[in-house]
Amino acid sequence: MATEPSTAARRPKQANAHALSPARARRHFDQPVGWRLAARYALLVAISAIVLFPVYTTVVAAFKPGDKVFRNPLVPDAFTLDVFSSAWSSGNLAQYLLNSLIVAVVVTTAQVVTSVLSGYAFALLDFPGKNVCFALFVATLLVPLEATLVVNFDTIDSLGWINTYQGLAVPFLATAFGTFLVRQVFMTLPRDLRDAAAIDGVGHLGFLRHVAVPLVRPTLGALALFSFLSSWNQYLWPNLVINEDDRNTVQSGLRLLSKSNLDEPNLVMAGTVIAAIPIAVVLIVFQRQLVRGLTAGAVKG
Amino acid sequence: MTKRPTVGANSRRAPGASVLAALAALALVAAACGGGESALRAGEDDPAPATAAPQTDPPDTAAPGTDASPPATTADGSVPATTQAAPVTTLAPLAQFPDCPTDALDAADGPVDVLFWHGMTNELESELIALTDAYNAGQDSVRVELQNQTSYGSTIDKFINASQSSRPDLVQLPEYTLQQFAESGTVVPVAACVEASGHDTSQFLPRTLSAYTYEGIQWSMPFNVSDPVLYYNRKVFVAAGLDPDDPPVTLEELRAVSQQIVDSGAAAFGIVIDSGPDSGGGWFIEQWFGRAGAPYADNGNGRLGPATEVLFDSATGVELLTFVQEMIDDGLAVSVGDNPDGSQSLLKMVDPDTPGAMTIGTSAALGTVIQVLGSGTFAGLTPEDIGVGPMPGPSDVPGAQVGGASLWIVADKDAAVTAGAWDYVTHLTSAQSQSSWAAGTGYVPVRVDALDLDPIKTTYADDPRFRVPYDQLQARADDITANAPVLGPQREVRVITARAVAAIIGGADVQSTLSAAVADANAAIAAYNSLN
Amino acid sequence: MTAVAVESHAPRPGDVRRPRRSPRWAEFPLAMGMLAPSAVILGVFILYPLGRAVWLGQQRCNTFGDVCRSNGFDQYVDLFRSVEFQNALVVTAKFALLTVPLGLALGVGLAVLADKYLRGLGVFRAIFSSTVATSVAVASLMWLFLLQPSVGALANVDFFNALFPSVKDPGWLQDPGTALTAVAMSSVWANLGFTFILVTAGLQSIPKDLHEAAAVDGAGGVRRFWSVTVPMLGPTLLFVLIVLTTRAFQTYGEIDLLTDGGPKPQDSTTTITYFVYGQNSPIRSDPGLQAGSAVLLFVILLALSALQLRGIGRRIHYGD
Repeated sequence: MATEPSTAARRPKQANAHALSPARARRHFDQPVGWRLAARYALLVAISAIVLFPVYTTVVAAFKPGDKVFRNPLVPDAFTLDVFSSAWSSGNLAQYLLNSLIVAVVVTTAQVVTSVLSGYAFALLDFPGKNVCFALFVATLLVPLEATLVVNFDTIDSLGWINTYQGLAVPFLATAFGTFLVRQVFMTLPRDLRDAAAIDGVGHLGFLRHVAVPLVRPTLGALALFSFLSSWNQYLWPNLVINEDDRNTVQSGLRLLSKSNLDEPNLVMAGTVIAAIPIAVVLIVFQRQLVRGLTAGAVKG
Repeated sequence: MTKRPTVGANSRRAPGASVLAALAALALVAAACGGGESALRAGEDDPAPATAAPQTDPPDTAAPGTDASPPATTADGSVPATTQAAPVTTLAPLAQFPDCPTDALDAADGPVDVLFWHGMTNELESELIALTDAYNAGQDSVRVELQNQTSYGSTIDKFINASQSSRPDLVQLPEYTLQQFAESGTVVPVAACVEASGHDTSQFLPRTLSAYTYEGIQWSMPFNVSDPVLYYNRKVFVAAGLDPDDPPVTLEELRAVSQQIVDSGAAAFGIVIDSGPDSGGGWFIEQWFGRAGAPYADNGNGRLGPATEVLFDSATGVELLTFVQEMIDDGLAVSVGDNPDGSQSLLKMVDPDTPGAMTIGTSAALGTVIQVLGSGTFAGLTPEDIGVGPMPGPSDVPGAQVGGASLWIVADKDAAVTAGAWDYVTHLTSAQSQSSWAAGTGYVPVRVDALDLDPIKTTYADDPRFRVPYDQLQARADDITANAPVLGPQREVRVITARAVAAIIGGADVQSTLSAAVADANAAIAAYNSLN
Repeated sequence: MTAVAVESHAPRPGDVRRPRRSPRWAEFPLAMGMLAPSAVILGVFILYPLGRAVWLGQQRCNTFGDVCRSNGFDQYVDLFRSVEFQNALVVTAKFALLTVPLGLALGVGLAVLADKYLRGLGVFRAIFSSTVATSVAVASLMWLFLLQPSVGALANVDFFNALFPSVKDPGWLQDPGTALTAVAMSSVWANLGFTFILVTAGLQSIPKDLHEAAAVDGAGGVRRFWSVTVPMLGPTLLFVLIVLTTRAFQTYGEIDLLTDGGPKPQDSTTTITYFVYGQNSPIRSDPGLQAGSAVLLFVILLALSALQLRGIGRRIHYGD
């Protein structure tokens, strides 16, 4: 195994052991030069090659016609776009992408709304049973999704929601995580703001809508991206509740595509490329939110 | 090493370290406090292994010529004559099961939608779509919608999980689900449809009907019947100085041929094997037992009454798996492991560096293999270079049991839907459909009259490879092992045997591994029987 | 990329607010109204199923779930001690021990490597972040093709399969000794972008002054890494650790697509989640055992979370 359990013992002293010196080192003081620079580049290039290798083989395969795909997997010795068009049409990928998009947008919107509402209640309202309620909310954070799916499937089934967008989305319309996140950021709002609004006769809902939400928009953006990615990447749940091709999400659809086209890896690879592109675009567009979105979870701690 | 984050500005033990340490501890604790019992025995009051079955197995050989598998008809109370005195075949009265209103289609206004779940992939799916399109275009009272559930396993899981209203109207299920689904109360026995519509089943191969008969009732309609065949590379045979028209039939021949191939350097391995539940780890073992005439389970392979125990640790089983193990040990065979989709063993035959010359696989792969090779995918290998022979096995005479899958009509649907599903079933199993289906895929036509129709008529005449699975099925003598064993938890049992086969391939002791697997399988059967 | 590593939204002491003039019941209806949507969803889809699963877990059912028999809660003990569950537990723990430290080390290493002033840095950063765009299905299918032993890409690179013959025979996903590591590799690869982005952001939030001061004090690169970078990254690393650990315990898609829980006989890649939901799982057709295993997974994660929360508690009280 790749672990060495005893490194903790070798842990050096903490940062504050080094007193901050007022003296300024020269700019870019640790910029590598000479062979160190070359070595660093070499390392970066080598690692980049390793990281990109699976992507490379995928793309090469996706552009190969059927009679070439099992040969010279590393050499792009043939080029055709036919595979993409047949993956697109026979693979039903447009439908999968649309389904994933619908579900992810619904889930994201709903999670933001429900989180704002409940987060506000926990942060700025006072009511009996608040602590118990909050404890219950937080407790749900500890329940892994996998522990609930067996029963959730039955629930969704008895509602007649198998093969529906509701079935895909409804269990995820609210999260304790979002509630917690929004509550935390609402608690940092200056108390005077709410007091002043109350004096002006602005109710809680008005305050929420016109003052509180605009102030925490970055956090909500982060939550939204986080929700969107989580929803988009759901794998197990769609595979459980979807059994008709027209309702497959990208993830469950790719599974179908791969399992029913074993003899055409180029088709499957083209499918994965198509499936990866939209999310890559989203991530490039929302780069800033991405970091916040991914780190949003850190406030759990 | 950067795996020990420190936290904040304190010098306490990092939580990261403690989590990782806890994980390591977890692994150790798990190893230390295991009970050594299968999860399938959880909740049993008595931890002792499943009790011995009340009726135990007959001797390994059934008297040849014994006709224990009469063609399915409705239960008329007659007990088939058999040399196995006990137990008497249980016969269930058809009337107690859901009926099949086959005439309801006439009363329906407008086309009826029938939802069909299947597990056909690759070429098989294309052929099924073609058959279905022809059906939908050919009449306007039923419209069939296909839903590919990616595999038999997924189909079963999804069917079981769903409530009756979320289930399809028609479902394709593999042969090993017979008892489980017959006892599930979720399906209409097709015997009821046959009876209600007066459908003529006289042209069907009797074996295909009896394969899907449980307790005297035919539960499902055979549609895609396959059996395992030997795929071999004819070029390698020639290079090794072997006759490419004379593939090995017995295990001894298989060994000799493999030896010659390896010795001549024509290929790195003689045969590619696997340990997948639906191939080398389960299905083929059942087939080999049938070929040897040895029962796989008690109570007449589970066909005279519910099986209570499996018998694959008998001398037959030990002999077979010792053979497999020695082939591996001697470098004559190579295993591709679990082979989840059945393609890994075939791909090993085209490995550019260390290929195998032969493999055993379902005949249903034949259409896909020919199609893939025909498109020039593998340099220097044309469809004609692949030979097909009967599955080598423990006897001089080829023989196989009915494998593949059948069509099940789901209960509690609208009468018109049930009637529509039945109508579609009769289309899929018509002589013409079966002829095209068999020619496109490598499946065995389920009826004799299909053989007189093109395209299969021409195919059988021109390409004997397609005929191998048919002849092999017909060659099998009628006795109690002519049909595949039936077990309640057969899918689980196959997973258990697959695990044993993988262990044996890896070098484990054959007898003790098989005995342990039998104990696990019997526990699974006991648990199943206690709940059904 | 913005340089927001960890936003500290934690309440500061003395910041606990109670709107002054409101009697406690006055806001009750409004609060209930605002909580209702979340509460209904969380109640119906998390708390109820958990409670129900705890009940189901002491039952054995037939395949179709219409005949069930209660065996008492000691069935959980049987289940926990069963060979299959123990195996799944060990596999899951091993998987976490493979993916979490390696993922962290790679993420931090690459982030530090790509944190200097170098020409073309943006390109390298983009490459290292790129895998964040792959979902589990996409990543697994890429690796499935890569690792196919007969015709796959790696198996047919001559120097590579000379170096590692097992990539061809029997194949990394087919060899019980390597399968879990191979799945872990694909998982580490897929998570690399996530870790890299987070750590890079964390690095950028460390004031350069700290490094410079340490350098003036004579600390070399390695020394600075341990005494400045790592402590300052603490919260980020903790977060990454938690996420990677949780993901490891919930691994399903990779297994479903790459190995189906195999190779047998040891079921070398059957994680707990795959044991519960996987296609070839022996308990796949027993809702009682499925629910029971899911509850055990919950309990195990709960224990791990307790450890993590202890760490979090410390950070809030003593951390930055």
